[in-house]
Amino acid sequence: MKNQKIKYSVLLVSIVVFTMLCLIIKNNAPKEKAKTAYLNVLNWTSYIPDDVIADFEKEYNIKVNYGTYSSNEELLAKVSSAANGTYDLIFPSDYMIDLMIYRDMLEPLDSSRLSNFNNINDVFLHQEYDKDNKYSLPFLLATTVLLYDDEKVDHLSSYRDLLKPELKNNVILLDDQRIIIGALLNAEGFNANDTNDNHLEKAYEFYTELKPNIKAFDSDSPKSFFITGEVDVGLIWNAEAILAQDENPNLKISYPAEGFTLSMDNYAIVKNAKNVDAAYDFINFLLRDDICKRIIDEYPYISTNKNIKTVPDNELNEILSRGTYIENVGGDIKKYDKLWARIK
Amino acid sequence: MPNLVLSDFEPILDKVATKKPSDHRRKTFWRNVFIALVLLFLFMPIIILVVFSFNSSKMNIIFTGFTFEWYGKLFQNENLLEAFRNTILIAVLSTTISTIIGTISAVGLKKYNFFGEKFIGKLIYIPIVIPEIVLGISLLSIFTLFKLELGFFTVLLAHISFSIPFVITSVRSTLYSFSPSIEEAAEDLGASRFETFWYVTLPMIKPGIISGAILAFTLSLDDVVISYFTAGPGTNTLPLYIYSNIKTGITPDVNALTTLMLIFTIVALLISSKIETKNALKRKS
Amino acid sequence: MKNHNHAFSSSSETTQKSPSSSTSIKNNHNQSFSSDSVSSVNSSKLFRKPSGFDGFKIFVTLPVIIYALLLIFAPLVYVFFLSFLKGDNYGSYDYEITIKNYIEAFDPTFLKIFFTSVLIGLITTFICLLISYPFSIFLRDKPEKTRSLIIKLVMVPFLTNSLIRTYGWITLLRKNGVINYSLVSLGIINEPFNLMYNNLGIIIGMVYTLLPFMILPVYSAVSKVDQNLLDAAEDLGAGKLKKFFRVYLPLTLPGAFNGSLMVFIPAIGYFFIADILGGGKSMIIGNLIKNQFLTARNWPLGAALSILLLVMTFGLVKLYQKIGGDLDELGG
Repeated sequence: MKNQKIKYSVLLVSIVVFTMLCLIIKNNAPKEKAKTAYLNVLNWTSYIPDDVIADFEKEYNIKVNYGTYSSNEELLAKVSSAANGTYDLIFPSDYMIDLMIYRDMLEPLDSSRLSNFNNINDVFLHQEYDKDNKYSLPFLLATTVLLYDDEKVDHLSSYRDLLKPELKNNVILLDDQRIIIGALLNAEGFNANDTNDNHLEKAYEFYTELKPNIKAFDSDSPKSFFITGEVDVGLIWNAEAILAQDENPNLKISYPAEGFTLSMDNYAIVKNAKNVDAAYDFINFLLRDDICKRIIDEYPYISTNKNIKTVPDNELNEILSRGTYIENVGGDIKKYDKLWARIK
Repeated sequence: MPNLVLSDFEPILDKVATKKPSDHRRKTFWRNVFIALVLLFLFMPIIILVVFSFNSSKMNIIFTGFTFEWYGKLFQNENLLEAFRNTILIAVLSTTISTIIGTISAVGLKKYNFFGEKFIGKLIYIPIVIPEIVLGISLLSIFTLFKLELGFFTVLLAHISFSIPFVITSVRSTLYSFSPSIEEAAEDLGASRFETFWYVTLPMIKPGIISGAILAFTLSLDDVVISYFTAGPGTNTLPLYIYSNIKTGITPDVNALTTLMLIFTIVALLISSKIETKNALKRKS
Repeated sequence: MKNHNHAFSSSSETTQKSPSSSTSIKNNHNQSFSSDSVSSVNSSKLFRKPSGFDGFKIFVTLPVIIYALLLIFAPLVYVFFLSFLKGDNYGSYDYEITIKNYIEAFDPTFLKIFFTSVLIGLITTFICLLISYPFSIFLRDKPEKTRSLIIKLVMVPFLTNSLIRTYGWITLLRKNGVINYSLVSLGIINEPFNLMYNNLGIIIGMVYTLLPFMILPVYSAVSKVDQNLLDAAEDLGAGKLKKFFRVYLPLTLPGAFNGSLMVFIPAIGYFFIADILGGGKSMIIGNLIKNQFLTARNWPLGAALSILLLVMTFGLVKLYQKIGGDLDELGG
């Protein structure tokens, strides 16, 4: 059989060539200094610019192994399934901090080692999930917002507006179970952390009404759906919405009238982390004003740094008073898991 | 397939098939069109990939202008290069190890009866037939059970374990194609078993070993699913790098790297067909 | 056999995996007990060193035993064991034996995904068959040179990263993508089609990624069909379709089934294609298992789903062997 013969000869030659290519690249690559210190970070996708990490590596001579996740659930699964000491620094949100403290997965923070602690705005400290900030320090605040193209669709101000039949196949939602179920609950007038079976069923009914309008679920880069003109409406992270606006000025942001969820993402060190020193170095580095600025410029979430005003104070107060944090619901999480499986 | 429909169409098709020269030419034309369309289907995304490696915009979405800049930037993207190096390193190591183990295993399975031979013989087909995801999660589970830290080593181990069966089946096909009496002769002449294996068996099954190794190398190079489950935070392979960047958007430097790899493949293709025609000519003369 | 400096040509000569050659190999093997080679085979066992300790035997059998038990058997047995444990929804599990996971695996929500996924797999396989047969039959009549060139071209995509090729489809299938843009501007359609972020997108991606796995075995089977048989069929007045169903199909069935296995099994597990082209709305079994392991942190349920998938796979492989398929030819 001729083709078999060709196949293998092609492959053989390719191997030789690939290996050569690899060697060439190796020689051309800038000579790295031997980095003895490591830091294993697990963070949200699209959260810290690559060059910020590169600068940290240079400044501290620490090699950062940077992994990403797109939801708190994924983070939990990754950390709990990995061997002890696999990850050092993670960025869980509010309810996940609560859950991880309960599961004894976090290392208490030593405030004496947080040299840039004072840069944090007090309003973000002492939250319900970690009253004394024993395990966590607020990093960025994300909110869920409605984004819509003012040119193409009518003004949107509530979740109900998403049900309009003319929005068929034109809506993108975050791919995050607590956030989306929270929004569905809000839409039906319930609290975003409700675990009442009837209320959850109501939320599901709202979803079935909404379903024909949903184009896709995506948490990692919902902005690109707007930029490519794939959708005109979405329920997405604030930073993604702002970035999309940069590309298309017709896009408008609105906070849903029925209420919306807040996600406070925090620094936390994993229990039995191997590179605790490097983790503190990285936290202090990220707390620096100039670094915060660079992060916010690239990913415009709400910074917890008091020297950097991402949004005016009155707007911030309004967001904080109207939004709800997602809470740990303990064993009832099964209900959410189940509902999410039905939704997907 | 319903027979009804079949017989309904037969007269019509027979009419089409009556052999007039012009009909024949038309038939050939449509056949060529079909073949060309299939090839177009297979190459469309590759064309897109190459075109976008010259795109001036960072977003791999709309073509804004022509540039070579990504081919330079590629060599500054440390993460991408590291992923590429890991990929090649894992592919070379896993190919080498799995080829060695696979080759001697094929010999062992053929030559010897041992306790549980049938069972082992069946087991080695499993990685070939089962869905990759099942293999991936089972390896992840066992690595976690043994408290192995997920990383370069576990990915390597996983790649070795899915490659070995492909090497074994490949070697086995050559192993059965020569008579064992040759080996016997060597042993009768006083060669030890190891010497027989090294000087007699190995040279004869070399083609099977080579094709097995090449197969193992290609599989390792492009593996997403199994690496996804067995890689730890510090290890990135090229497929994993692309997978983790796919949602936020792949930058054109990845396209550039893939284009370079593609060019090398095509060059290899040309070289191999040169060699092939040369050999063909040799055989003729 | 001249192996040195002819690695290319010889490598392929002996790796031909045509059904005929491999059956003859098999026959040789089987006949070895009755024909002249019987002495040699037996002698290899007779001449075993009397000491009972055979270093070479250990050298060639121990690695495969260790490998098969440690890296194939143990992981699968462990997954089987896991599937009977009780998940605690926090990424770990209680050591308490239960069949609850299997009951949960048959929950309507999961059954629906299983059903959709199998359907996607079947449609993908069918489309691949539908493309591969005419492609192979048309190619069969081409001159040798064209044939080898085209088969080479079919294999080029193989050697390019599969993820980045799938990513390329986004550019093609988008609402304002290449395909929709061309169709709309040519006036063929008014409204752009929804080509992705649905099951159609997944099927396109699967067919694309897996088509070469179908073309290669089908082509190799079709090219081996004896021309005399085809001529005889034609002389007896068989039409195109009759010729296909009565001559080609029966003779190439193992090849087609080989291809179908190599397409269907990945098509229900390649979660990354569903991820990229399904828009997070459509799930296949691969996503379901992946989520149980990596997001829903319910390993026992994921293990139970994997075991069910495994049982289904083994069933298909048994079927393949029943119609005369050779395991050694899979994945080659």
